[in-house]
Amino acid sequence: MPQQPKPGSRPARGVLASSIRGQSALVTTSTVFYILHQGAEASVPLLIGVIIDEAVTTGSVSALARWLLILAAVFLGLALSFRYGARAGERASYQAAHRLRMRLTSRVVDQHGGAEAGRLSGALVNIATNDAKRVGAVNLALPLGVAGLAGILVAGTVLLRISTPLGLLVLLGTPLLLVLAHLLGKPLERRSGAEQERAAHASGVAADLVSGLRVLKGIGAVSTAVARYRATSRNSLAATVRAARAEAWHDGAILILTGVLIALIALVGGQLAINAEITIGNLVTAVGLAQFLLGPLQIFAVVNGQLAQGRASAKRIGEVLAATPAVHAGEEPLPSTIRGELRLRGLRLDPLHDVDLSVPAGHTLGIVATDARAATALLDCLGRAAEPTAGSVSLDGIDVSTVAPSRLREALVVAAHDADLFEESLLDNVTAATPELSEDAVAAALRASGGDEVAETLPAGAHTVLAERGRSLSGGQRQRVALARALAGDPPVLVLHEPTTAVDAVTEARIAEGIRELRTGRTTVLVTTSPTLLKITDTVVFVAGAAVQAEDTHSRLLRADDQYRSAVLG
Amino acid sequence: MTEPHGDAAARQQPTGQAGLLPTADGPAIRGALGALLRSARWLAAGAFLLMLVATGLGLLIPPLLGYLVDLVAEQRAADTIVLPVLLILGIAIGQGITTAVGLTRLARLGEGMLAELRERFVRRALHLPLERVEQAGSGDLTARVTNDVSMIADAVRNALPELARSGLTIVLTLIGMIVLDWRFAAVALVVAPIHVLTVRWYQRHAVPLYAAQRVATGAQQHQLLDTVGGAHTVRTFRLGTAHVDKVRTRSTRAMELMLRGVRLVTGFYNRLNFAELLGLSTVLITGFVLVQNGSATIGTATAAALYFHNLFNPINAALRLVDDAQVALASLARLVGVTELPPQPENTRTGQQLDPTIKVANVRHEYVPGQPVLRDIDLEVAAGQRVALVGASGAGKTTLAKLIAGIHAPSRGSITLGEVDLTERGPHAISDLVGLISQEVHVFAGPLADDLRLAKPKAADEELLAAVDQVGARDWVQALPDGLATVVGEGGHRLTVTQAQQLALARLILADPRIAILDEATADAGSAGARVLESAAANALAGRTALVVAHRLTQAAACDRIVVLDAGAIVETGTHDELVAADGRYARLWRAWSAPRPT
Repeated sequence: MPQQPKPGSRPARGVLASSIRGQSALVTTSTVFYILHQGAEASVPLLIGVIIDEAVTTGSVSALARWLLILAAVFLGLALSFRYGARAGERASYQAAHRLRMRLTSRVVDQHGGAEAGRLSGALVNIATNDAKRVGAVNLALPLGVAGLAGILVAGTVLLRISTPLGLLVLLGTPLLLVLAHLLGKPLERRSGAEQERAAHASGVAADLVSGLRVLKGIGAVSTAVARYRATSRNSLAATVRAARAEAWHDGAILILTGVLIALIALVGGQLAINAEITIGNLVTAVGLAQFLLGPLQIFAVVNGQLAQGRASAKRIGEVLAATPAVHAGEEPLPSTIRGELRLRGLRLDPLHDVDLSVPAGHTLGIVATDARAATALLDCLGRAAEPTAGSVSLDGIDVSTVAPSRLREALVVAAHDADLFEESLLDNVTAATPELSEDAVAAALRASGGDEVAETLPAGAHTVLAERGRSLSGGQRQRVALARALAGDPPVLVLHEPTTAVDAVTEARIAEGIRELRTGRTTVLVTTSPTLLKITDTVVFVAGAAVQAEDTHSRLLRADDQYRSAVLG
Repeated sequence: MTEPHGDAAARQQPTGQAGLLPTADGPAIRGALGALLRSARWLAAGAFLLMLVATGLGLLIPPLLGYLVDLVAEQRAADTIVLPVLLILGIAIGQGITTAVGLTRLARLGEGMLAELRERFVRRALHLPLERVEQAGSGDLTARVTNDVSMIADAVRNALPELARSGLTIVLTLIGMIVLDWRFAAVALVVAPIHVLTVRWYQRHAVPLYAAQRVATGAQQHQLLDTVGGAHTVRTFRLGTAHVDKVRTRSTRAMELMLRGVRLVTGFYNRLNFAELLGLSTVLITGFVLVQNGSATIGTATAAALYFHNLFNPINAALRLVDDAQVALASLARLVGVTELPPQPENTRTGQQLDPTIKVANVRHEYVPGQPVLRDIDLEVAAGQRVALVGASGAGKTTLAKLIAGIHAPSRGSITLGEVDLTERGPHAISDLVGLISQEVHVFAGPLADDLRLAKPKAADEELLAAVDQVGARDWVQALPDGLATVVGEGGHRLTVTQAQQLALARLILADPRIAILDEATADAGSAGARVLESAAANALAGRTALVVAHRLTQAAACDRIVVLDAGAIVETGTHDELVAADGRYARLWRAWSAPRPT
């Protein structure tokens, strides 16, 4: 079930918060270990100083042994805290992404639909992979950020205790330096973003040309395409180099600014030490801490960027999760036996206007629409892919909008003309909706749809695994397997939309005969303009433009209605 | 820390089939890289020198700070520290500038080599015989041109500068240590075997793990595309639960492998931590001994320990990049494998003067030996004649069309276009004599005019519009938001199947070949669209010798002659009226299709 948004809730914040809350134990564990790690990292240079002072200078072997043991203990802590901090944080990140992926998938395939509206499937997949990953990554960025903050606080306290002016210089100077670097980087960042897009464009052009290879060869345009790609590639090269130059100068500027800060600390600290306000050791510590502080502050900048990305991704995820369902939820039951009587009353959905029609149980009806959009609207209402703006569809006298869509689809199947196949065996595709089907029934459906011929051409017959979305098959082969699937379930009412557009005339004639035989006694609606299919119908409804114009048998309509004849025969 | 190359590789098809395009071996890669580097040697030398100077300058700051501390310790006058402070400032500025210029040079070098490589790749790839591409699966080529190019681009953009800086820092620091006291540098090298073993250990585990990760993320991506792309079908057949379970299985599998990768990486760094501890302790003990026997000062011992500590980060960075470099190298092998293929002989003969006739004599073709797809085909098409091929799927129509277009060479027999035997024209060249519109429709991304100009680069807008007009597309083209300049294709304005096919026919008009082959170009357009396309095709084929693989019988009826194929052999041939009168196979088809049609 989709998570319905509360009115006025902010989807982005909700997604982000629930993603963090769901992994709070791991996030906390990771934070604690990262703080310990930060501490261990900072104490290594301090320990080097101590060992020089206490052992190398004094020549005491026992002091050397003691401090080396302590150094080893610190390294052990450093290694373990990194190990467990990283593992907990990464686990929190991947698990959160996985959960979001599952929520998104459930929402997209939810029986009420509506999540795909206005989104390409590639974009949705991108949201379920990359955006989910970025939101998940916040769970790793948070511990790092908190540990960085802890490091800054500790270093700041130490510095202020050494000397107030020196401490303030370092504590105010380092963030100022980063703000300056950030400001310097901002315009560059924007420019490099635009230029990186152009670089990505070159790769897109190459992929596009390669996928259109047959077309290029067919019209002898290969050399033209190569020349065009070279121009794109050179353009993109110039853009990339500009972006890289901007980035390089940004890096250079940071180096200079860091140098300025260290020189300042050296100058002020040196003066203080000469005036004996601080010790030499204090001066060394201050210089060391200033260099150490750059680490956590840089982590801050990275974490800040990740949080911004995470928020943007969370917004996209939130929008999908909160998408308005395409149809109402219904709870009425359907009787266990469906006769299959279909009735449309005053149905409206752009461009359909007040469509009335009825299909008696067991009847085979053809629907010929001159406007492809009218056919689509009709199919959407029947398949509950969209809610009609007025009027109703009823099955055996029950208004279909009062029934749960998935329950309705057990009794009324609307098979789309471009239905998708999935990455599994041909046989599994056919029986997906009805796994308990007998072998005879499957064989009959395959025979009727011409799917048996498709299976014969495949290396492992019907057990051959198809490529993603059935792309290893040709358009005509896909259509026949999809038709077999629609027929296999033997639903009380079956609506087929142009099931044979991609098959040849010989096969189409055979399929028409197969459908007629298999659907005897069952309600079947054929939305098509193919004369071969219309010949097997009992009656045909002719929808000219937005409304029903005539209803009669195919042959009588052909003889009597010129508009019908031109719609069907051209 | 990010997971290693997860999603970038996700779209890579896990292809296990034979016939994949070649992958280059070590010497071939080195050869190709060497050639690219040689053509940019001055740029390379400049970049290296600048980075060397920049890194060297950076290493001067710590000793200057030490000098300043010494001055303070000696209780000199307050203004004596101004000089080292100014030196630090100057060095910082110098370092910043040389770094900026050096990194820019490095980017120009790397990106330039990459651009050259990808252009060579595209040139070679587009010239590959279609037969070869089909053997490999077009996914192989697409994966190389997208994933592999972007892998290398990532390496050039991120790994290369970091590797250069880290590598130079390591080398210069070691030199600094040698200058300080060679004995410290010698003991520091004691830990090098640990690094070598760690990298080997890591690669031993990482290579198979990353391969498994790529397969798992690829499978996850496939499943998502399947489920999300087919959401409508999933709902129609109530497959929601099953599909959510499938996504969960694959997503969980990918996540587990990613977490195993995290464990591997933490193990890697822990081993390096051990090397750090061991090395640092050794340097400190050496300092202790040398100071005790009087052969080194405390200052030298301190400096040596701090130098060694400064090596931690660059060593970690450089060793981590070994992994990225390996991934980039694998991608490079796949690119170079294609760029180093022997070039196809260019077809220099122009077909425009040739007589546009087709003669197919005694042709037999088998994709799998012993399973003929075409048997004893004899067919002649006179100049300007239009012939339709009719038959059930699998009858051999498309194969015959492909043989005549020169995509495959027939197993036996000969095909002659004009007076020239196809085999003499080079087995795979589709000459400019023949234009082929195959079942595949593709709209090239970019302005519509650019798409059309692929067929005729120098055509003026008026000429494009004329072609568009002939295929009945002028109305919708002019109704597009920017007319001919409208961006279409992937990421642009989406054209309907019918429009895309009209575009294909307009390209054919612009390319103006004397022989045209149309293979089921109307198949997916639906009935109404099919009629639009039939008249568009009729205009596009006017004045050409044409072979039409007819899907709709009206299309066949409009041709000069109809050839009916069944199981790889020609069973009937004649005009529409002759065949209807003969009351054979074609006549039966025609009746099934149009029984009450008044003619």
